[in-house]
Amino acid sequence: MGKVQVKICQGTTCYVMGGDVIKSLLTTLTQKYADKIEITSARCLGNCNESDSFSKAPYVYVEDEVISSADLEKVIAAIEKRLDK
Amino acid sequence: MFIDIDCAQVKKFGQNAFGDYFISKRSENQERVLAVLSDGLGSGIKANILSCMTATMLIRFIEEDIPIQKAAQIIMDSLPVCQIRKISYATFSAIDCRNDGSVWVVEEGNPSFLWMRKDEEMPLTYKEFTSPKFPDRHLKLYQFKAEVGDRIIFCSDGVTQAGIGTKEYPLGFQRKGILEALKKYLKIYSNISSTNLSKWVIQKALAVEENNHAGDDISCGVLYFRNPRKALIFTGPPYNRMKDREYCLSFSFFSGKKAICGGTTANMIARELNLDINNVSQADCGDLPPIAQMDGVDLVTEGILTLTRAADYLERDELNHKDAAGLLVNFLLESDIIEFMVGAMLNQAHYDPSLPIEIEVRRTVIKKIKTLLENKYFKQVVINYI
Repeated sequence: MGKVQVKICQGTTCYVMGGDVIKSLLTTLTQKYADKIEITSARCLGNCNESDSFSKAPYVYVEDEVISSADLEKVIAAIEKRLDK
Repeated sequence: MFIDIDCAQVKKFGQNAFGDYFISKRSENQERVLAVLSDGLGSGIKANILSCMTATMLIRFIEEDIPIQKAAQIIMDSLPVCQIRKISYATFSAIDCRNDGSVWVVEEGNPSFLWMRKDEEMPLTYKEFTSPKFPDRHLKLYQFKAEVGDRIIFCSDGVTQAGIGTKEYPLGFQRKGILEALKKYLKIYSNISSTNLSKWVIQKALAVEENNHAGDDISCGVLYFRNPRKALIFTGPPYNRMKDREYCLSFSFFSGKKAICGGTTANMIARELNLDINNVSQADCGDLPPIAQMDGVDLVTEGILTLTRAADYLERDELNHKDAAGLLVNFLLESDIIEFMVGAMLNQAHYDPSLPIEIEVRRTVIKKIKTLLENKYFKQVVINYI
């Protein structure tokens, strides 16, 4: 099984809404899965600009799942769900 | 030719104001550069007021197309005499040059400037005029044609007299001291910018002063005639999406340094030009989004937060930061002619009132950067809204 891909949007809106904090904390808190997941930054993924998604930044992708209003809890839960599969 | 100009100064030790005053202006059509360095009598606030008045009046006269010799004569004939020292209240050097290389210089009381071609001094010829009102005041008028690579270096007497009375320099650093040092330095650093060369000269002068304390106000102005270094910054997607490709192609064909400020803009360029955007692990990214890397592009940053911070750094003279905004500032200052392609497409999400910080409007920030680059860093800036 390949690594679970986690992409954290670092576009302006996501960045100011906490995307940067999620990235640094996630990297620290998921040390135990270090060989099973890959965390990367992404340029603006464009989600913030879709009218029905306003105010839902920051966005994080765990594989193809889009997590809006992302926080650490949601992202870790999504990662663990993937790892349990 | 582009005329790169800057001045570096050190205050006389113990003073809280500069007694020398430097002012420079680039004409709106970018073809003409004017500069005046005035040295006010004495030091501190009094000298600052005298030199500031002299320099600003003189540059305004020249700017209004009064011939440089006449403008200088008006000032020379009208400067008051100090009741104690019986000499004029300020000395000055004024330079009027065009980007075809034509140069006019007038000097009254300041040390003679240096005209350098590579690491060699060019001979200077001048006409001298004596003030009809004050026979001890003499105006020197120089006229010559500079070539690409030439430099004009003008200093206040704080440079030529640096170290005066010391064992090593009993008569001071003198013009020949600076000239010898410059010849050696320019042989090695032939492409040095005016900013760095002027800083180097004043550091050199300061180094020969006793205890490195400036005995007088020390100023050095440098003009460097060179082929312009061009840069293009693409920030924000175009208003009309149908034109994305056209603008991306014109970006890719630009000959000069290129930067992209904006994630959406970078994505658009990557899509249209079929390029990859790679994340860069940046140790010193501070509290700004990190930079990215794209083939053929010198710098890729986030947009508005980075631009806003870069404007702050330029305004506060903070030029040594290593974060994305610091890298952008370096990119801008290493260029002479800077073009901004500013996309008018707005990201509505940036104006969401629930965002924890206020995000500036792109146009406002770019205009602020333009004003700073032109007025403070003497760059030539063009903004194209797309």
